[in-house]
This record gives sequence, C-alpha cells and structure tokens, in this order.
Amino acid sequence: MKATMNLRFFLALAATLVASYALYASMYWPFRTALFPRIIGVPLLILALVEMALSAFGTERQQEGHAVDFELTTSVDTAVARRRTRAIVAWTLGFLALILLIGFPLAVPLFVFLYLKVAGGEGWVLTLSLAALSWLFMKGLFDRLLHLPFPEGWIFSLWS
Amino acid sequence: MLDAFIQGLFVVLQWQTFLVMLLGIFLGFWVGLLPGLGGATTLALMLPFIYKMTPVEAFAFLLGMHAVVATTGDITSVLFGVPGEGTTAATILDGHAMAKKGEAGRALGAALMSSLVGALIGAFALALSIPIVRPLVLTFGAPELFMLAVVGIAFISSLSGQGGRALVRGILAGLLGLLFAMVGEDPQGGVQRFTFGQLYLWGGLDLVPVLVGLFAIPEIVDLAVRGTAIAGELPQEKLGRGVWEGVKDTFRHFWLTVRCSLIGTFIGIMPGLGGGVAQWISYGHAVQSARDQEERRGFGKGDVRGVLGPGAANNSKEGGALIPTIAFGVPGSSAMAILLGAFFLQGIMPGPDMLDKYLVLTFSMVWTLVVANIITVAASLFFLNQLAKLTLVRGSILIPLILLLAFIGSYTSNNHLGDLVVFLFFGFTGYLMIRCGWPRAPLVLGFVLGKIAENNFYISTIRYGPSWLMRPVVLVLILATVIVMIYPFIQLPRRRAPAEAATG
Repeated sequence: MKATMNLRFFLALAATLVASYALYASMYWPFRTALFPRIIGVPLLILALVEMALSAFGTERQQEGHAVDFELTTSVDTAVARRRTRAIVAWTLGFLALILLIGFPLAVPLFVFLYLKVAGGEGWVLTLSLAALSWLFMKGLFDRLLHLPFPEGWIFSLWS
Repeated sequence: MLDAFIQGLFVVLQWQTFLVMLLGIFLGFWVGLLPGLGGATTLALMLPFIYKMTPVEAFAFLLGMHAVVATTGDITSVLFGVPGEGTTAATILDGHAMAKKGEAGRALGAALMSSLVGALIGAFALALSIPIVRPLVLTFGAPELFMLAVVGIAFISSLSGQGGRALVRGILAGLLGLLFAMVGEDPQGGVQRFTFGQLYLWGGLDLVPVLVGLFAIPEIVDLAVRGTAIAGELPQEKLGRGVWEGVKDTFRHFWLTVRCSLIGTFIGIMPGLGGGVAQWISYGHAVQSARDQEERRGFGKGDVRGVLGPGAANNSKEGGALIPTIAFGVPGSSAMAILLGAFFLQGIMPGPDMLDKYLVLTFSMVWTLVVANIITVAASLFFLNQLAKLTLVRGSILIPLILLLAFIGSYTSNNHLGDLVVFLFFGFTGYLMIRCGWPRAPLVLGFVLGKIAENNFYISTIRYGPSWLMRPVVLVLILATVIVMIYPFIQLPRRRAPAEAATG
C-alpha cells in the first residue's frame, strides 16, 4: 500500500514537472504559439500540485478515486508479481535492443524463439514452428507484400 | 427518391459490384485485425486500383473495405487488449476485461452486433439527413467545435472514476493528453514545441504508437504477472456459450446502443472529430448509464455496456462522416479525405449533384455500408467461438506474439524507430497510470482532440476576439461543461445517503 502511495506521489510529481517545463518552455515562444500550452499548463500545474499534496498527506476512501479502467491482478504474491513484472519489462526492452541491433526481420523470429524457449520453457517443435511463422509473417506481409522499409540493425550498418 | 433508394441496392447487388465489394471486405477484415495497419492507409494504398472501375464499383470496393475495419478491429481489442485500430481502443477497457473473465465470446458477440446496429443507424442517418444537414454543420463553427472538445474532455474526465479525487485525476489525464498533442511544429507560427531537437518529433506524436503503448503494455505486464492464459484457468466450454449472449446483450441494452450510434453519427458529421473521439464519448455515455455507484464500479472490469457503446459509435460514425463529404466535399476525417480523392479520380464533384445527378450512387454508398457490415458480422459470428478460444492459449505463448504485433503495429505508423520509443514511453506511462488509479481514457481523448481544440481556439480568438464566448451554442456548451464538472460532487452525497441509511 505504501509503495502505491509513493508511486502516486511520484506520478503526480512527474505531471508537475511536465507542466512546469511546458510553462517554462512557452516563455521563449511567440505569444500565439505559447497561448494554448499556457492555457493547458496552468491548470495542469495546479491540479498536479493538488494531487501531489493529497498523495503525500491525504487519505483515500475505499473506492473513491478508483478509475473506470482495468485493475492489475492482486491475487499473485507481491514478491512473485514484482519479479515477473521486472522480467517482462526486461524482455520488452530486450526486444527493442534486438530490433536496434540486428533489425526487425531477424529480431522478430529470434525474440519469439528466445522468449518461448527461455521464459516460456516451451518444447522445441512449438518454439521453432512459431519462430518460423513469425519470420514468414514479417517477410511475407510486411516485407514482400507491403514493402515496408525496415532499417538494418546497427551491427550490420557498422559493417556496410 | 424511393426509386433511387431501391435502385441503389440493386446496383450494389450486381455481380461485378458485389464481387469487388467482397474483395474490399476481405481486405478490410484483415486490416482491422492487425494493429497498426490503419483503414485510412489502406484506403490510400487501394486508390490506384479504382481507375478502371465504374463509380459504383469503386465506392463499393473502398467503402466495403473501410466499413468493416472498425468492426474487426474490435476483435483484436477484445481478445488481446491491443487496439486493432486507433478507433477501437475504448473497446479494450471492458471487452478485454470480459475476455479475462472467460467471456470473450460474449464480448465479441456484443461488439459485432452493436457494430452492425451502429452501421445501420449511421447508414440510415446518411440516407435521411443529406437534405437537412447543411444548417447543422453551419451552426458549428470554430468556437463551437472548440467548446465541443472541452465538453468531451470534461465529460470523460468526470465519468472516469468516483468522487472529487477521481475528477482531479481525470482532468489531469485529459490535460496531459492535450499537452502531448502539442508536441511538434506549431501549426500557427511554425515554431517547434517540445521537440528536444529531434527531427522525428517535428510532425508530432502519432496516435497509433501512443494508443498501442497505453493499452498493450499494461495488459502484457498483467498477463505475465498472472502467468496464466488471458481467460485464466477457465474451462473451454464456458467460452463458446457467450457469443449469442453478447448478441442478445445488444438488444437488452438496445436504447443505449441506439444512443451511442447517434452520438457516433453526430461526431462523424462534425469535421475533424472522427472515430477516435466518438468511441470515447460513447464509452463515457455508457458509463453514465450506470444506475448506481456499484454498477459504475463494474465498468473497466467487464461490463458489456462498455463494449456496446464504443462498438456502435465506431461504425455509425462512418455514415455520419460521409454526410459532409458527399454533401459539401468537406471530409470529416483523414479516411474521408482519401475517399474524397476517389471522387475526383472518378470525375465526380461532391456537392448538390450527389442529390440529383448521382443520387443512385449516393444511395449505393448507403447500401454498401449496410451490406458490408451484414456480411462481415454474419461471417464473423460463424467462427467467433473458435476465436474466443485464443484466450485459453498459455500466456507464455501469447506474450511474444502480442509484443510482436504491438512493436510492428507501432513501427508501421511512421516507419521510424522513434515510434518504438514512443510506444514504450506511453506503455510504461499507461502501466503507472493504472497502478496509481489514473484513468487512461481522458488522456487518449485529450490527445486526439488536442490539435483540433488548439486550431479551433486559435481561429475563434483571431476571427471573433473574446466575443466568441457569447455565441449561443458556445454558452450552452459552457453550461454543459460546468454541469459535467460539478456532477460528481452533487452525485456523491446523494448516493452516499441511501448507502449510509442502508448500512446503519
């Protein structure tokens, strides 16, 4: 609960910083460019400060303030949930790193293969089939059919 | 008039026209399913193919394709929590929540049937309103469109939670959305705003990576944390039963579906607002339909009305958007702007001629919207049960595939690696928002409306000075905004009183 309160405080702090930066940046723009960001920035700053103060000092009634949105699973043990969250964040960032390093066409099947084998512990047949399918999907639809320009990875651009 | 109306149906059913429409429907079906492949982009890609077609065939092909994109986009949104289209993101909130409860079939049935009802109402509105729409469109100038944006954000902010604290968070999210929309070159002065020297940001943030990130990443994290399939450990038999239940839900909440369809049609008519706005306003209206606090708490957690509202509005807006396009040559959205290009390619000038010389063609468009949606929904209903079973696939298998769709979907919006960074930034922002109880809907609506609001605000100020605030429709909309903002404060004590009486 305390961790969530801290997180709420930091999210409100982030909104405060965004609003402050918007207002600061708008000082250097011509009036007509700055007008709308200022109109948005001022109430944003005030409300973000209110939310920050409430998160730091206020208490929240049960159900009040809850968003009309989906809620994250609470049935999993907190330590396990934290470990799994860190793992999926690392895999997601790893996928981005793979795309940057070796480019989409290779990163996609490699990521699918690694995730299924390492994180999912799936069998060889399923892993290899889905990795091959993902490669076909990339190559067939996006490359051959739609001719999307996928940049080559940084590793390959170093060689060329 | 009636003759032309009937003749419009017959020309659509002629075998050549019907075949090209089926081809369009087939393409639109897959475009809708795949995140990132937008309906507008596909329309643009298909334009060269209409050169050799007759006008009726050309519009049956293009509209047939465009009409079903939002319908099938709902399928991806419900099953995987990734918006199949930018205009189907609102369906995720309750549709995917239903999928997680093992009600994917019911959610899909509801989404498809409400889409069909929406499309029929939109087409009906198109058929009826062409002669009378002119005064309505002319009543809404820049000041009214700006205020409409303000009302929209206030409305969704006030409905995004319970009590004053939720209102604060809702408005905060809406304002953040408006601010994110200002990234890029200022359309008035050409000054770079919040671009941090990055060329990629000059054109502003694209809607697709923002939406895909906001909605897909939190769902993926949650799926990984649960370590199960989307529908948990539910038995397979339970999933298949829901499709017809979802279809029936549309008729159980028929008036809600009709009202949301009318909202979609109205927003479709307003130039520049489009489906991104229609779905969220309709979602807000669906939330508003909750009879008490307890019911409202169910939204976002799998209330079927949260699927019916956006589903209906998404499709009805197409009929609405066609009205100004056909009647005045003023496109209501980017897709309609591309469709306008198709008019010119066919040598047709939108305007009064469409009500006289080309009346049969106009009605053939109405019928295309109707027939294409009926075919898509009928075809989809046959294998929805099979699609629903995808929610029983182990999370460890689905996660890399959903991530793959999300990454590629985001990248295809601009074909730039910067899209991936935006996708991840908004993904983790969305996750934090959910952790902290901030609603995502106002942020999305603020983002969608940001540029429209700023342009109309600027035009209003330059054109009318402060006097635009005194225009009658603007005054009504200001009053509506105030009512919407104070509504949670009036409502809360009233709802607390009976609850307290009951408990004590």
